[in-house]
Amino acid sequence: MILLENIKKNFGKLKVLKGVDLKVDEGEVVVIIGPSGSGKSTLLRCINFLETAEKGSRISIDGKVIHRQKNDINMLRRNVGMVFQHFNLFPHMTVLQNVMEGPTQVLHMKKDKARKQGIELLEKVGLADKHNAYPQMLSGGQKQRVAIARALSMNPQIMLFDEPTSALDPELVGEVIEVMADLAREGMTMIVVTHEMWFAKEAADRVCVMDDGLIIEEGTPEQIFDSPTTERAQQFLQKIVVG
Amino acid sequence: MEFLSTNILLSSSFIDWVVNINPSLFSMGESLKAIITRFPTFWKAGLITLQLTSAGILFGLLIGLLFGLMRVSEIKFMRYPAKAYIFLIRGTPLLLQLFIIYYGITSIITIRSFPSAVIALGIHNGAYIAEIFRGAIQSIDKGQMEAARSLGMSKTKAMERIIMPQAFKRAIPSLGNQFIIALKDSSLASTITISELLLRARQIGNTHFILMEMLIVVAIWYLILTSLFTYLIHRLEVHFKTS
Repeated sequence: MILLENIKKNFGKLKVLKGVDLKVDEGEVVVIIGPSGSGKSTLLRCINFLETAEKGSRISIDGKVIHRQKNDINMLRRNVGMVFQHFNLFPHMTVLQNVMEGPTQVLHMKKDKARKQGIELLEKVGLADKHNAYPQMLSGGQKQRVAIARALSMNPQIMLFDEPTSALDPELVGEVIEVMADLAREGMTMIVVTHEMWFAKEAADRVCVMDDGLIIEEGTPEQIFDSPTTERAQQFLQKIVVG
Repeated sequence: MEFLSTNILLSSSFIDWVVNINPSLFSMGESLKAIITRFPTFWKAGLITLQLTSAGILFGLLIGLLFGLMRVSEIKFMRYPAKAYIFLIRGTPLLLQLFIIYYGITSIITIRSFPSAVIALGIHNGAYIAEIFRGAIQSIDKGQMEAARSLGMSKTKAMERIIMPQAFKRAIPSLGNQFIIALKDSSLASTITISELLLRARQIGNTHFILMEMLIVVAIWYLILTSLFTYLIHRLEVHFKTS
């Protein structure tokens, strides 16, 4: 469904991505792990053009190559939902307005329909009772669940998660992971950058280990966690399992 | 050479040159009476000051919004004219700008005094307001734009729906400050024959030999008007904080 070929990205002289290839099938859940600075987040951000990958990189969805034009990018973004580490909810809007904003402004959905859909999505993430609250009144875990509902409001084909639980207090991680696991069970195509090993073990079809701008190893969760082949992957996994 | 040996600063002729004490013209009771009885006669001048300031601020807000948005644009052809405008206007005195508009360009077009003052106040405050908006826009977390874009919004739409509403709120205290400066700066219009507070004070004060008293009267008028502005801005802040 989504195909990344030779994704390269430089920040000045720094080569963050050095030619990443990745193929994600429909309904597949791919977890990307790796040490910080390995380029995981940048890869995710390149997929929906929040960062523009270098020339020669190719991103295609359903066999259609996405070009660096406004129309292509806006169309791509409608189909690709993104959940950020720091939630990035709109603070001047209520929870429900946050979830209605995309459909009404971008898809020109009727307000009642968007409201109905919004409430349904909030029910799905267990926050329908908070629909009139403003984001600053919510806990981190609740904020992130709203952010997931907001991304889902565009009815995306693919969901990208950029370290969705890294900014959360430990006791709030579970509720977010649970919502994500539900989504995975429903068959959503997902690419998740995370350090939550149990999400990877429970929900992932495939785990990719990134290091120094490249995917150095990929396989099923069992393969990666139980018997990693490369030395870098072994070192990294040892650290996160112990720590 | 001889006067150098005497202490020039203590010589009575020098003190006479600096100040000229004239006790015969000063009577506390008379002055107080003049201040109280003449106070209400300034309401019309106060109204002109208020009209001048309001029109100037309104014009300044329009210019400030336009140039503020141009200033943060990624397009050079937008950004550079805004930079030049701000450089030019902030780098020269308001009085000079007023004279250029009222006296200077008469060879091309003659503008009556009141519109001249409104235009001068508008373009002058516009430059400062542009900088206030620029600061407010740039203070909004980058994640807000990214979240909006990830929903498929165009840059313009994201500005309109997500960034500007938040930036406006953040700009209110600085805008209020600027409005109070504009109110006081409107006194410069007295130099181009507009019968606002300061000019009226000088006219009445000079004809009736009560200049000091009338200057005190308009000082009180300015304090009342600035207090009114402060109150209104405070109300606006509270309104936006709770909404």
